Order: sequence, then C-alpha cells, then structure tokens
Amino acid sequence: MAIFEQALVSGILIGGVYALIGIGLTIIFGVMRVINFAHGDLLMVGMYLTYYIFTILHIDPFLSIAITIPLMFLFGAFLQKFFINRVLNALPQNQILLTIGLGLIMSNTVMLAFTSDYKILTTKYSSSSVTILGISISSPLVISFAITVAISLALTWFLRETNTGQAIRATAQDREAATLMGINVKRMSIIAFGLGSALAGTAGALIAPTYYIFPQVGSIFTLKAFVITVLGGLGSVSGAMIGGVLIGVAESVGGAYLGSGWKEVITFVLFLLVLLLKPSGLRGKSQT
Amino acid sequence: MTPAADAGKGTHYVPLALITLSIGVLLMVPLFVESTYLLHMMILIFINVIIGSAWNILGGYTGQYSVGHAAYFGVGAYTTMILLQYRQIAPWYGIWAGAVVALMTALIIGSICFRLRGSYFVLASIAVAEIFRVSALNLKAITNGAEGILITEIPPLTIGGTLITDWESKIPFYYTGLIFALVSITVSWLVLRSKLGYCFQAIREDQDAAHSLGINPTLYKNAALAISAIFTALAGGLYGAYVGFIDPSTVLGLEKSIQIVVVCIIGGVGTIFGPVLGAALLVPLSEALRSNVITDLLIKAGLVRAESPVGVFLKENLAHAHVLIYGILVVIVILFMPEGVLGFFRKMATRRGSRGSGVGGRRKGKDLAVTSDSEPSTHDPKPATLDSHPATPNSDPRPPTPDSRG
Amino acid sequence: MKRFAVLLIVISLFVPSFAHGATKVKIGFVNSITGPEAPIGENLSNGVTLAIEDLKKKGIDVELLKEDDTGKPETAMAAFEKLATSDKVSGIVGPYTSKCAAALAKLAEKYKVPLLIPVASKDDITRQGLKWTFRLSATTNDYAQILLDMATTLGKPKTMAIVNENTDFGTSGATSAKAYAAKKGITVVAEEAYAPGSPDYRSTLASIKSKNPDLVFMVSYVADAILLMRQSREIGLSPRAFLGAGAGFATVQFAKEKDISNDVFSSTQWTPDVSWPGAKEFNERYKTRFGKEPTYHATTAYESMMIMAETAAKAGGDTTRTRDALKRGKWNGIMGQVAFGDYEGYTNQNHHPMLVEQIQNGVHETVYPPQFAPKKPVYPFPGWGK
Repeated sequence: MAIFEQALVSGILIGGVYALIGIGLTIIFGVMRVINFAHGDLLMVGMYLTYYIFTILHIDPFLSIAITIPLMFLFGAFLQKFFINRVLNALPQNQILLTIGLGLIMSNTVMLAFTSDYKILTTKYSSSSVTILGISISSPLVISFAITVAISLALTWFLRETNTGQAIRATAQDREAATLMGINVKRMSIIAFGLGSALAGTAGALIAPTYYIFPQVGSIFTLKAFVITVLGGLGSVSGAMIGGVLIGVAESVGGAYLGSGWKEVITFVLFLLVLLLKPSGLRGKSQT
Repeated sequence: MTPAADAGKGTHYVPLALITLSIGVLLMVPLFVESTYLLHMMILIFINVIIGSAWNILGGYTGQYSVGHAAYFGVGAYTTMILLQYRQIAPWYGIWAGAVVALMTALIIGSICFRLRGSYFVLASIAVAEIFRVSALNLKAITNGAEGILITEIPPLTIGGTLITDWESKIPFYYTGLIFALVSITVSWLVLRSKLGYCFQAIREDQDAAHSLGINPTLYKNAALAISAIFTALAGGLYGAYVGFIDPSTVLGLEKSIQIVVVCIIGGVGTIFGPVLGAALLVPLSEALRSNVITDLLIKAGLVRAESPVGVFLKENLAHAHVLIYGILVVIVILFMPEGVLGFFRKMATRRGSRGSGVGGRRKGKDLAVTSDSEPSTHDPKPATLDSHPATPNSDPRPPTPDSRG
Repeated sequence: MKRFAVLLIVISLFVPSFAHGATKVKIGFVNSITGPEAPIGENLSNGVTLAIEDLKKKGIDVELLKEDDTGKPETAMAAFEKLATSDKVSGIVGPYTSKCAAALAKLAEKYKVPLLIPVASKDDITRQGLKWTFRLSATTNDYAQILLDMATTLGKPKTMAIVNENTDFGTSGATSAKAYAAKKGITVVAEEAYAPGSPDYRSTLASIKSKNPDLVFMVSYVADAILLMRQSREIGLSPRAFLGAGAGFATVQFAKEKDISNDVFSSTQWTPDVSWPGAKEFNERYKTRFGKEPTYHATTAYESMMIMAETAAKAGGDTTRTRDALKRGKWNGIMGQVAFGDYEGYTNQNHHPMLVEQIQNGVHETVYPPQFAPKKPVYPFPGWGK
C-alpha cells in the first residue's frame, strides 16, 4: 500500500530537522576538532527558550527562532570563550569529558529551574496534516523543513561568500596555516561554536511544537547527531544535510518494515558501515 | 599513594611497604567494620577500580579512547546472569565465561574499529556499544529484553563439600571485589613494565612512527583491548551478581561507558594509580553529594539551623542539585587539573623541587596553541603530549624507549 | 475552613484508634529525584510531602529521610544501606522504578526493614516470597486485563495491535496483554516495541493502520502518548478503541490535548472522581499546592507514606512489629481498600482494583468497572471527525 511512500515522506521531513542538528555538530567539529557531547543539551536549551517564549510572550515557535538564534549564538560563544577554548590543545578525552560536564550542568540547571516535568508545547497546528495522494503530511513538519532548507542555504552562502565564513573554513582546513595567514583562530572558534549552538537551538525550536520537552531530552539527539555527522563526513556541511535526511528515512522505512525495535540498530549499523568503508563520510575529504 | 606509583622506577622500599600495609588494612576491614553501608561503598569502589584500570590499559597506555566500554561490561554482566538464571550455573563460574565471551567480542570489535583513528574511533566505539544495547533490548528470548534479569539467590560456593560462602552477606563480595581490583592493578603494572607496555605507549605517542619501527599497531591495539575487555567483563559479572538485577540501560548504556572514562580521567590517565584514585574519590564523592552530606554538615556545625528557611531550602534543593555539583566538579578538574587529580598532585610535588618548570599545564597549552597544532584531525596533538607526562616516570612517553627495548 | 474540613475527613479516615501526643517516627523515602526518571519521580515526592503534613496533623511527627536513587539500582542500594544501617529507619517507602525496587526488595529481606513499594509494577517483585516487601499498587498484568475485560463487555473485538515502549513497564505490559488477549479470543495482528523518545512514529502507525485492527493497545509514558496519538490522527488510524495502559495516557497533560485524546481509554490505579474516600479532596488540595493535577504515582506515594508512618508509629518504631502490623492491617483511604495479602503466587501484595478512565471533553472520567464509575464509556471510537 502507501506504507512505503508514507514512510519515505515523513522520513525526509523529520530528516530536515536532524540535518540541522548535524550541521551544528559538524561545524563545531570541523573548526575545533572537538566532539561536542553537549550538543543535545544545547538543543534542549533551545527547546526551553522556545517553550517559554511561547507560553509567556505568546510568540509562535516558528517566528520565535528570530529570538532563539541570536540568544543561542551568544550562549555558545560564551561556552567556547570561557570553557572550550581552554582545552583546545588538551587530550581528546579531556575535551570529551569537558563537554559531558557542561552538558550535565546545562540539563541539571534547567531541571532545578523548571522542574523535571515534561513540557508540551501545543499550537493550533501541532497535530494538523494535509493528505496528498493518500499520504498524510504533517503541516508543522513541512514548515520546519522549509525553514531548515532556508537556514542551510543561508549558512552555505555565509561560509562561501563572507570573509568570516572563509576564515572559518580556513581554520577548519588547517589551524596552523590559518594562524600564519593572520586569522584569529580563537575568534573563529568562538563564532563556530556560537553557530553550532544556534543551529542546535533552532533544531530544538523547530521540533518543539511536535515533540516534548524535558531536561534530559538532549541525550537522544546527541547520539543521533554523531551518527548524522559521521555519515556525512565529519566537518562537511553538505554531508550533514544528506546524513540527516538519510537517517530520517532509514529510521522511518526501517520502522515500517523491520519493526520499531530494530530501527535504531539499522542506524548504527549504517553508521559503522560508513565508518569502515568510507571513514571520511559520504561527502568528506580523505582523512588524515 | 603518589609515591607508591613510583615503584616502577626501581627499588623503593617505602612505597612497597605502603602498598603492603594498605592491602593488609583492606583485608582486615570486614573484620572490624560492621557498617554494611561502608562495605557497599567499598564494593562499588572496587568495581570502579577494576573498570578504571581496565580502560586505562586501552585508553591510557595505548591512547585509544573508547567510549563504548559498556559493551564489555554488559557482556560480562549478561553472560554471568543468563548462565545463572537459565542454566543454574553459579556466578563463580559464569563470570569466567563472561570474560571469555567479552574477549571474543573484543577481538571482533577490535578488528573492525581499530581501522579507525582519533575521533572516528571514539564514535565507532559508541556505535558498537549502542548496537549491543539495542540488541539486548530486542533479543528477548536470550536477555529478557527491557525487563532485565532479576536473580533471587546465588547458589552457595562449596569446595570439596565444604561451604566457603553462601553469598548472603556483603563480605564475600567485598573480598571478591578486592581480589579482582588487586589483580587488575597488578596486571596494569605488569603490562606497563613489559615490552607490551612500551609498544602500547609507542602507539599512543605516534602510531605511524611506531609502525615504522616494526610495531604492528593493529596487533598491539587488539592486545590492549583484549586485556581491557576481560577485566571490564569481570567487573560487569561481579556487578550483576552483587546487585542481582541488570537491564540493558544500566549495564550497556552510554552513561556506563562515560562513567568508566570519568573514573580514569579524574584520577589521572596513563598511570597505574590514577584509576584507583579516581574510583576512591568519585564513588564516595557522588554518594556524599547524593545523600546531601553538605547540608547535614552545615546543620551539625551550627552554621545553618535545620528549621530556618535556609536550612529547609538546602535540604530540599541540594539533594536535587547533586548531579549539577558533580558536573561542575568535572569541569573544574578538566580545566584546572588536566592530568587528573594524581597528575595535579605530582605536578605540585615537582614544582616544589624544580624551579619554575611546573607552570600550569593549561597555560602552557594556551601559548602553544597559537604556534603549533599541526595535526588537527588525528588524536593527541603534540603540545598536549609534551604537557601531560613530564612528571609521570612510569609512563615514559619518549619514543626512544620502545625503540631500544623492541 | 476548607482545609479544616479536609483535615477532618482525613483524620476520620486514617485514625482507627488513637492519636494523642506527638509520636516520633523515622521513615526513609527512596525516589528518583534526578536522572531520566525524575519527571515522574517528582509526583511521588509531592504525594509524600502532603502525607507528611497530614501525619503531623494527626500527631505523628515523621522524620523523613529522602534519598535520591537517580534511577540506578546500585545507587538505590546505597540509599537503602544508609537508611537501614546508619539512619536505622523503621520503614522505607519507595522506590519509584521497578528496577530499583527489584534490587531493594532483597535488601529489605536481608536487613529486616519493611519496604513499601508504592507504584513500581513489575510482577516479579512480589512473587519471590519476600516477607519484608509490600506493594500497594496493582501489577503490570492488571493494566492490560482490565482494559480487555472492558473491551470485551462493550463489543466483540477480534483483532488487536500492540504498541509499547521498549522499557520494562512497556514490554511486560505488552506481554501480559498478548497473553490475556489469547484467553479472550482476540488475535494480535501487530506488535511494535519502540524506543522511547523518537520524534517520528508515523511509519509504524501506518503499517498498523494497514492491518486494520479493532483495538490498538498502547503502553507509553506521557510524552510519547501524546506523540503517538497526534501521529495516529495525522495518519488517520481509527480503530474501534484506543486502549492506553496507564502511564502517559492517564495524565492530565494528555487529557488536555482534546483534539487527540478524546475518547481514548486508559487503565489507571487512581482517578480524581473515583468513589474512594478522600480522593476528590486530595485532588483539590494537590492542585492548589503544586499547581498541577495529581497522577496515580502521587496518590500511591501519599497513601504508602500514610500507611507506613502510621503503622510504624503505632509499633513504636520497631521494624518487626511494623511488618507484622502491615501484614495484618486494613486501610481505606484515597486508594480504596488496602490489605497486603498472599494470592496467585504473590506475597504481601495489595489486591488493588484497577480502573478504566476515558477522556471525555478533555477530562478523565472513570467509566469502568461500574461499581466505582460515575460515567458511561463511549464505544466504539467515533473517529477523528472535523
């Protein structure tokens, strides 16, 4: 029947949001070479921001990203400047542990401030859908997918065309050379982490109307983000987009045919296969 | 404990005496201590010492930062518990089966994951552990799925008809844990002093250079993983038998993997006593935070009255904040003691001895950051290496050593 | 004034014999205060807070020792050891999760400290013949049975799809649903165990829809319950009845999502409009105090603490006498009649009657079994409409 088409369409739509999470992580990794274990927690912070902007100021989640993005950027920049910049040359496990520690601080601060209750953000369109050719399409997912595409395009333009964007890419390619060329690497790192967390926060905002919010929600998405970025190639923005959609589809189609229990295994097996056969990822350059 | 670690250097009788003394004291503890609460904490410390030391062999000596060690912990725990539950095989035997299964698993995983380096290896190790967790959730016929395995009693251990223990009290678990912990420390020490250990470290410092010197990286990495997996599995089996209940999220979750790494890093990576110190600090610390000892102390010291608003606030909220405090401590340690607590104290010690050389590692790293970081995507950039080992004689980082030995 | 009335009712309910002069008693409470289980754990904490206030009014001064188990069995064990050996409590209430409860049940036996489990519903816990472990709530089995009992009295369902979260509660709920469906002559056409927290269940639901089951039986926590129903609506999955096994489906948050929750059935341990004494008052009081509606987690924790503290106070804090009194005692409060008996392989298990509630116009209404239910069920599911 239409199961396959249904699975494919909803997989692509949810994949858009995954892509956004992946892009954030991949930028952070590309520039800093730090695996950010607090990425999901940044997304969680974005969710809470959106939730409170919606309940207190009554601003629609899709509009409030205009507020969320700059706030999350500043938050990310703050984390980079005062914490992560200090371990850029430390052992990798120390960097990992630092981000884990920061994640714990974020989720537990939120828990103390807003209790550990589930928060549900219900908008008029939270469960609305349109049916085309027998396939039902969730309206909020369509909107969020469109926003994702717009943001990705803007980001690609920024990285390609602006001076700062080029400096960030130069830093990602070769820190030392970038330094020699007079690029302020620390500043680029701050911008990159700011961008990464703004993207994670936006993903949180976009997913909030159809999902739910609680302090530990991040861990679910941290793992997903890892898979997506490796799939696309660590450090590759376009790869993360493809990876996100791919994971969305794999989960969705896998869920329809193999049962929902095993669909996670599919993602991780896919992940391992890519790591082994093409460790640089689908869109990555060859690895050192 | 700090001088004890120097034993590797030569004939230090003082540390040897210290070690003997502490082992003696630990052996006597159950005879004098009645508090089962304390014994429980000690058993948890032993389990953490085992997993910390085991991870250290792979992560610390060989430089392969696995964040998927829960896989081996879980395999050990599940094998032991499944054999007990469905085959009535006592954990005393089952735990060895668990180690064997973990060894085989490690060899398979190793042959796959060790083709990757640095961050890629970290992520692959996470993926493998997750595959194990999700499989354990779904293979209900074997693992009982998410419902986990609950055992009611452990068959008594008898040798030649004499009852050794019925596993009713904590004491047999205490001694099992202690022995396993001592064995894992000893193995750790033996490995570090052997040719194997030098090869491990050569790979950590520079895999390609080691390879060109005739050290087969894949072989030695697998050897490190094998040793590491066996001990992790033993700890898992012990945990299962002791707690009496396991389920996929407790023994195979990412949180477990992270906990294993944290023990090591907080204590000090790449040193024999780092994981020991890490376990001895972290287990009581998180328990103290959890049970809100701080508030109790403040109240007892008369600084805060229990009935006052502040006292009530602390009582109510500090208990909720213990994970937050834990997170803050982790961040502080990473930022200010990048070589772990053990490394920090050693540095303090050397600082007193030699002039000026002991500037904070962090600052040194900062300066270097601008000038040299030529190897962004492989693990272990040089500055960190230079920084992290000058005061660790037993983990001599200089490549010439393996050169001359191997 | 109102509070006074509540007080009177509560006193009349819980004081069978005497209450003069403040009796001091030390009770431990193990709960998931932090960690992934904390969202539900909080309800238990709130319930206990109210219980302590009520106990004080009745002249029982409880020294409450709250311990966080962070949702981990070994931490729960540490908490229990501390309570039993260094704090020397007279009894312990908790923990919330089944895995922690499973680890603690054995410790209770070892240390001879009575443990009253409010709501952890894993069957096995009270099936080990343990003498020191008591359980107030019904077990996971019962969540499925009452729903299928109701469905078969209302109509003649032939097929059923099971959707459950892949957790202890979810899988054991699904297993017992399957077993009981077989007994009732219902064929299970689809079984889907999903990992909680996934944002997209559409494909799973679409494949269920293609099998066109009469009943859809779901075991999920709060948030997933809402997600599953939202996406069922999107997909247009419309069986004769949606049956939710407690947890997420029994929460007010779920009921408030009228668009998607109307006419959904849910089995539960407690409802605010049930005809058990004090239930309505408890509901009001809880709402004013915590700004949200109580769940059955809160009420079971409240009742457990009341029972444990009172019994322990009467026994003068002695653990053995407390246990004996728990075994013999009978209570009648917001959880209905409570007695800890041995039956069907259970030991010290309260034979708690489950209830079925249905969401009608955004409110949970108790609809089954008839003796406790003020409202009539709507069956079959009228469809998504509009």
